[in-house]
Amino acid sequence: MNRVVNVARMQLINKWTFLGIPAIIMVSAFLITLAIWAMIPASGETFYSGASQAVMWYFMALGIQSLTLTFPFSQAMSVSRRTFYIGTVGLFATVALAISVLYYLLGLVEVATNGWGFNGQLYALDWIATEHAVVQILFYFIAMVALFMIGFWFATIYKRWQATGMLVTWIAIAVVLIGLLGLTSWQGWWPVVGQWFVAQTPLSVSGWVALFCAVLAGGSYLTLRRATP
Amino acid sequence: MNNPTTPAAIELRQVTKTYRDATALDNVSLRLEGNRIYGLLGRNGAGKTTLMSVLTGQGFQTSGEALVFGQHPYENDGVLSRICFIRESQRYPEDFSAQRAFKSASLFFKHWDQAFADQLVEEFQLPLKRRIKKLSRGQLSAVGVIIGLASRAEITFFDEPYLGLDAVARQIFYDRLVEDFAAHPRTIILSSHLIDEVANLLEHVVLIDRGRIILDDDAEAIRGTAVTVAGNASAVQSFAAGREVLHRESLGSLASWTVEGRMTNAERAEAAELGLELAPVSLQQLVVRKTMAATDAVLDTDSELEVLK
Repeated sequence: MNRVVNVARMQLINKWTFLGIPAIIMVSAFLITLAIWAMIPASGETFYSGASQAVMWYFMALGIQSLTLTFPFSQAMSVSRRTFYIGTVGLFATVALAISVLYYLLGLVEVATNGWGFNGQLYALDWIATEHAVVQILFYFIAMVALFMIGFWFATIYKRWQATGMLVTWIAIAVVLIGLLGLTSWQGWWPVVGQWFVAQTPLSVSGWVALFCAVLAGGSYLTLRRATP
Repeated sequence: MNNPTTPAAIELRQVTKTYRDATALDNVSLRLEGNRIYGLLGRNGAGKTTLMSVLTGQGFQTSGEALVFGQHPYENDGVLSRICFIRESQRYPEDFSAQRAFKSASLFFKHWDQAFADQLVEEFQLPLKRRIKKLSRGQLSAVGVIIGLASRAEITFFDEPYLGLDAVARQIFYDRLVEDFAAHPRTIILSSHLIDEVANLLEHVVLIDRGRIILDDDAEAIRGTAVTVAGNASAVQSFAAGREVLHRESLGSLASWTVEGRMTNAERAEAAELGLELAPVSLQQLVVRKTMAATDAVLDTDSELEVLK
């Protein structure tokens, strides 16, 4: 257990990677959005912005980085792959949870200030802001974990099988997707699929993505088990 | 020390490691007791790094068993925490400086001695705050050497730790290693090409060639196992008759052969009578001769097989 915590501390030795850069991305994305809103003449309509996603994409890069750069070093620190995995994913989940709570709180401020005074929507997006607090936080959290795990698993596949692994993985993904699309068209399932998507709520999306995360997490761990530094 | 109930520090049982097109370790069995300084010698690609990777759970054997303190090291934090292995080509996180690397090491190695690390940084004149990827090859090696020494792990592997280090820095490394070993006995495994430089440090030598252990003996015992006989070619030939000859060199009517075996006083007298000179063989010479003899043997078998075809 102690070594798991130490893996998290090792990842935090450079404060910028997990804390500083996400903070900068969030603050600058917020300020740039406000600046843009301020420049557009108000027409009474609501402004929408996707800038709050910015930091989530950084987490995909973080997933890649924490594996490619820190895993070989953790091996030199005599840390088992399991300990490295739990420590790294655990630290990430903690950071993601903190940001999710922050997003929820910023959403409350946004509503209270009439969209930062510009009638804008950055955090409290219509679709999700009416949900229960726990659902909102869960939604952001699961989305970030999914992106991190995607980055982490792809980096692990690259680490084990290099370019060949990447090629095979992407071809496999493409084949599966095309197969699903083809099957849906062939069977005439599109209306049903459309209805299904419309019927989804933030909570059910979180559920599906959580399932996806569990698959990613299991896959990453099994891939890492046999990776060499 | 040699209590049979205590497991050896390191034990390999018929370990084989094959890559797609090469055999890195070929049915290696080896048993090393604790608290000694071992030299793991061999040419490039002989299997030294693979051997150390398997022992530290960083790499995987294809078959066989690797035991450290009697346990499998793979995914075993209990055993791993007692080992330190910094690779020759060790990679560090992108944004790490030497200072950050040492900070990490202090988290994971319970015997880490920060004062010792600071002293070594001073002696190697290592810039602490510069990013590791901007360091020179020698400075990069120094980072690994400092982690290896200051971690005081019960088993420490040094994988060609001197690359890029100047003669002064290498001497500092050898001196500190011996001093610290005396004060804190532990198991040191030093893989090296510069055999003459490390010969005096080593208590035991393991020589590996093409994935096979071709020599595994105490350094003292090895030093006396071969001798160079020089003099008149026909006299050398008759003196060497019936002995294993590791190397032949000749210049005109003079010959200088390296032969295996210890010389008795009678044999020394016989050599003197024949006008032959007997000279001790350095560890490096012996390793070179042994390795080349093993290579010749392999080549001979190969060409015999060719003929049989």
